[in-house]
Amino acid sequence: MNMRRRVKGVLGVVAVTSAIALTLAGCSRGGDDASGSSAPSPGITDTTVTLGITTPLSGATAGPGTCTVAGITAYFGAKNAAGGVKFGDGKTRKVEIKSLDDGYDPQKAAANYQQLKDSVFAMTAGLGTPTNRAWREAAISDKVPQVLVMTGDPIFSDQKQSPWQLGFVPIYQNEGEAFGKLLASSSAPHKVAILSQNDDYGKGYVEGFMAGIKGASNITVVKELTYEATDTSVDAQLTELASTGADVFFNAMSITPLVISSLNKAQSLGWKPSWFLPSNTSSPGAILQKANDVSVYPGIYSVAFSKAAASPAFANDEDMKTFLSDLKKYANYPDTPEFPHCAWSYMVGATLDQAFQKMTSPTRDDFMKALRSISDYQAPLMLPDTAVDTTKDGSPAVSTVLVQKYNGKGYATVTTWQ
Amino acid sequence: MSTAPARLFERPWMRWTIAVVIVALAVVLPLVFPAFTNQTLARIGVFAVAVLGLNVVMGYAGQVSLGQIFFVGLGAYVTAYGVTQNWNIALVFVLSVLIPGVVGLVVALAAARLGGLAIAMVTIALPIVGVPLAKRLSEFTGGSQGLSAIFAKAPTWSGLYDDQWQLYLVLLIGGITFLLTRNLVHGKYGRAFAIVKGNQAVAGSMGVSPYRFKVLAFTVASLIGGVSGFLYMVVVQYTSPETMSFGSSITLLASMVIGGAASILGSVLGGAYYVLVPQLTNAINPNLTAVLQGVILLAVLFILPGGLVSLPRTIRRLWTRTRRGGNPSPPTQAASRQADLAEGSPTERQGQA
Repeated sequence: MNMRRRVKGVLGVVAVTSAIALTLAGCSRGGDDASGSSAPSPGITDTTVTLGITTPLSGATAGPGTCTVAGITAYFGAKNAAGGVKFGDGKTRKVEIKSLDDGYDPQKAAANYQQLKDSVFAMTAGLGTPTNRAWREAAISDKVPQVLVMTGDPIFSDQKQSPWQLGFVPIYQNEGEAFGKLLASSSAPHKVAILSQNDDYGKGYVEGFMAGIKGASNITVVKELTYEATDTSVDAQLTELASTGADVFFNAMSITPLVISSLNKAQSLGWKPSWFLPSNTSSPGAILQKANDVSVYPGIYSVAFSKAAASPAFANDEDMKTFLSDLKKYANYPDTPEFPHCAWSYMVGATLDQAFQKMTSPTRDDFMKALRSISDYQAPLMLPDTAVDTTKDGSPAVSTVLVQKYNGKGYATVTTWQ
Repeated sequence: MSTAPARLFERPWMRWTIAVVIVALAVVLPLVFPAFTNQTLARIGVFAVAVLGLNVVMGYAGQVSLGQIFFVGLGAYVTAYGVTQNWNIALVFVLSVLIPGVVGLVVALAAARLGGLAIAMVTIALPIVGVPLAKRLSEFTGGSQGLSAIFAKAPTWSGLYDDQWQLYLVLLIGGITFLLTRNLVHGKYGRAFAIVKGNQAVAGSMGVSPYRFKVLAFTVASLIGGVSGFLYMVVVQYTSPETMSFGSSITLLASMVIGGAASILGSVLGGAYYVLVPQLTNAINPNLTAVLQGVILLAVLFILPGGLVSLPRTIRRLWTRTRRGGNPSPPTQAASRQADLAEGSPTERQGQA
């Protein structure tokens, strides 16, 4: 008898809980998004617009990650202090930035996106291929812009696959191609040896280089070798490549210590070609000056599209002075940035500003249209002859890079093969 | 006095009521919660299962494993690959559990011969080898760009939102995994694990082969890791080499210790810690997440050395102490301590969930 009463009690509890819950369930998610397309999207009001960033602020990539937030914060900090950004619909809005740390973990990046998507107008500037890929599909199905992100992965700039995305920095192919074209324009014949990292990074560079030298009869690729990103030495590959007697060495390598040791190894083998190095492993201070005397090589080439903060060549540049003081004043970043990402992120801010000025209604749809219509825009800190162009399908916002040659202190743009 | 509520919870009808209420809540709450809450709960479920696997090998069988995330990542990759090849999803699930299980078994056959820290060293190698391997085998893994696999969209007949459907899947699969694991560690295997953990010589003298049970615990942990990997793909829908980074493995270990070693409920709390602490520290200051996470880790272990699961016990102990504190008779202090020990021991070993 006692037992039966208890069972009744249990059933009662269940019934009441279910009833309450179902009532609540009926109330939740009432607001369907059936309203017209001219209604403002989330994250934008008549006086503010909010941007979201998920990027690594802790862990191994925290340095560049912090820069991706600092640059854009500095740009809009200065704009806000001057009153705000004037939008194409006639309203002036202040730009707010919500940034979250993902520690370069795709799972956390996806979580950050889910947390931000309903309170921000657009996601932007985040660093990393896996951390942007993790929520690319979700952003597409939620129709949330994921724009001007810092990844060299071409998928973000393919409009068919990524209708709500746009990459900012040049893809690996752009860099390889720029160098290939310069080399092809040379009047002399060249023998090229290629070493590349055996992944999408290395393959992207080589693919671009091959496209650049296509049809050039004066260029022969004499040998192409690869190494693994986990290798601690590439001496064997270098010895093999040196034996070809190539006069140009295209080295698509992303690992700093390996670049330094290859510069030294080639010298000790008596092989003195001209070098090409990717933009992220060609730093004068961190790489070239750490290796043995690199002046024995006829040339060390790389590519760039932004002015380098650490370079003495731009110490008195107006853009550079404003950029550094904005960083200090609005982004709490007092040092001269070591990573180019601070400058890139600043340019992202300027590019978004352009899109905002073209927007005629406060919707994400209209924003994407405005963003995809910017061409020939020279953002602050950009090198002459490079520009933001968002109108080309398949290309990131910045796809022009200039080949640079090392002159013993820093890099200078070259337009012909000397 | 303090034992009365404990007794109450041990009665079968009370346990059934709790079980029924939990199931009812699990069915109803996903319908009520906003999407982000559901997504967060689903992620907690994913990592609770991963921590549970780690708990089997470390908490219950006492073998240090620093490689659990490797099995999670392997399960995720198998799932992603199977889905992109359009295999039947049931087959994908079975493979995503079995393949990590087999790999775990092979590793354990070699590693369990070693003692103590040597096992830890072998397991460290797993995520360290796993990341470059995932990058290199790009035809299966998508290389450093990773693999996306979207297969857990809510079917139209259910009328559910995707986040609700995903949470139900996690609750169902995760719930079954927890139930099976609970039965395993509360039965004769659990007792064998406890003896192996306590003293291997004693275990041998009682006819319990430490080697066999270490291999068993390790294999079960890898199987559960595989389940977690499958659920990871249900919820996150993307995997890349970073999924199995060594840092994540260490965080998983910290989550297990913080939740409560050798405890079923502690595994759930560990999963919650893994997911919620980064969110919490982001809310405080996104630039200081690493420091804040360290502070929280230290604070929890300092205040609750037995993990979060020991919180009720600690509160009860403090409560009885303050109550008895008013009572001037001296022997009660010792008596209460003895009562604590008596209460504490079964929870420590078996973690009544």
